[in-house]
Amino acid sequence: MKKAVQLEKIGWVVFDLLLLLLGWIFLVTCTSAKDTFPDPVSVFSMLFTSFVKPIGTYTMWGHIMWSLYRVMVGFTLASVTGIIVGIAMGSSKIAEAIIKPIFEFLRPIPPIAWIPLAILWFGIDEASKYFIIWLGAFINVTLNSYVGASRTDETLIGAARMLGAGKRKVFTRIILPASMPQIFAGLQVAMSSCWMAVLVAEMVRSNEGVGWIIIRGTDTGNTAQIIVGMITIGVIGFILTTAMSWIERKVCSWNTTL
Amino acid sequence: MMENKVEVSHLTKKFGDLLVLDDLSFNVKNGEFLTIVGPTGCGKTTFLNSLTKLYDITSGEILVNGEPVNLKKHNIAYIFQEYSTMPWLKVEENIRFGLEIKKKSEEEIKRSVDWVIKMVGLEEYRDYYPRQLSASMLQRVVIARAFATEPELLLMDEPYGQLDLELRFKLEDELIKLWKKTNTTVIFITHNIEEAVYLGENIMVLTNKPTRVKTIIKNPLPWPRNVSDPEFIELRNKITDLIKWW
Repeated sequence: MKKAVQLEKIGWVVFDLLLLLLGWIFLVTCTSAKDTFPDPVSVFSMLFTSFVKPIGTYTMWGHIMWSLYRVMVGFTLASVTGIIVGIAMGSSKIAEAIIKPIFEFLRPIPPIAWIPLAILWFGIDEASKYFIIWLGAFINVTLNSYVGASRTDETLIGAARMLGAGKRKVFTRIILPASMPQIFAGLQVAMSSCWMAVLVAEMVRSNEGVGWIIIRGTDTGNTAQIIVGMITIGVIGFILTTAMSWIERKVCSWNTTL
Repeated sequence: MMENKVEVSHLTKKFGDLLVLDDLSFNVKNGEFLTIVGPTGCGKTTFLNSLTKLYDITSGEILVNGEPVNLKKHNIAYIFQEYSTMPWLKVEENIRFGLEIKKKSEEEIKRSVDWVIKMVGLEEYRDYYPRQLSASMLQRVVIARAFATEPELLLMDEPYGQLDLELRFKLEDELIKLWKKTNTTVIFITHNIEEAVYLGENIMVLTNKPTRVKTIIKNPLPWPRNVSDPEFIELRNKITDLIKWW
């Protein structure tokens, strides 16, 4: 039964992709979009050859590894700091009063707006890129961790206290596990934000990365290269979020919404 | 051993200008099963929350074993109206929770869990998550968790309020069995007069807000009690008359 459901799901994904491809073929053969939009054959041939023939200094593998490394550094930093700040805000009224106003002020500012300051503070090398990617993810992780911690069921906290749990035990054994589903939701969104931010980050002097492929394609008017970069980001993002969903199902197997 | 487990004297609780508990004084004996009944919203939960220090009291005194309540020192268990099972812990882990917090040895934990899980009939469900259990099973897990810690004082705030009649009677019978076995002092709050008569050795009747103790009635009926017994009905009607505000 479970296998049949999974097969049905895969079937729908294949159907979706075929529909997308058909729409794309229609667009480039039957409309005026063909002048500015590359056809699927040239995009996929470029995508496959990019794994053996370099775009710039590296093949696609090299570009993926550069971007992946940057995303993972930014994502890891954002996860650690976001969970700490979010849980602190959600479980302490004082922390909430101090941090939340600053957080709410910084929240709507997009990562791209930070580029000049990032360059001033961290230079034009890797640190500024990590900073921009971190910023993109940090907001989501913090916000979700905060919501998770602040919405912990008061009955559970009361029950733990009545059983003799002090503040530390209430935190580690009630607030933290109760926040896990929300934290994972934040991490999922943060992962997507990281891939959005990597494009912005690779605008800061770089010669490599999937984001750079797109930016370089824009500079040279190579639309096929832009779409190759987009497809690559989409596929890697999909693999990473699927992996995270799998981890979430393992860690939060008790959660009814999974 | 002291004769009184709980001594309440001149307990008053205000929320701002709103007087909720007005000069309550009474004692609960060691091993007693006291049911507290009163009109909805009269402050029954406020009383339990004050007793357990979840709320600060405005004036008066609450003593357990002759000294002010100390949750670290006094072994008190509180069963809430809402199901308080930890959803991320399996049935056995939920029951172990309180014992682990109290830093009992692994041997003690295993012995207590095995005993209590059998008592509440959940042996086969040790590895189930709360989401896989029915409402009555969830409340049984909470009761098992409370009894596993062998509390000297068990406080219950309308624990069966959300259950249907059949399940309620079943769990009430289980509770009486556990109480008789452990001789724990129980304070059971309910707005259901029939439940108060079915369970209590003594029944405390509270007034409407501001809440005072109207009377404490000794329940002479032997266990197992029968709700259709004329004596049972007579006592139930007597308490209904005492509570009537209409």
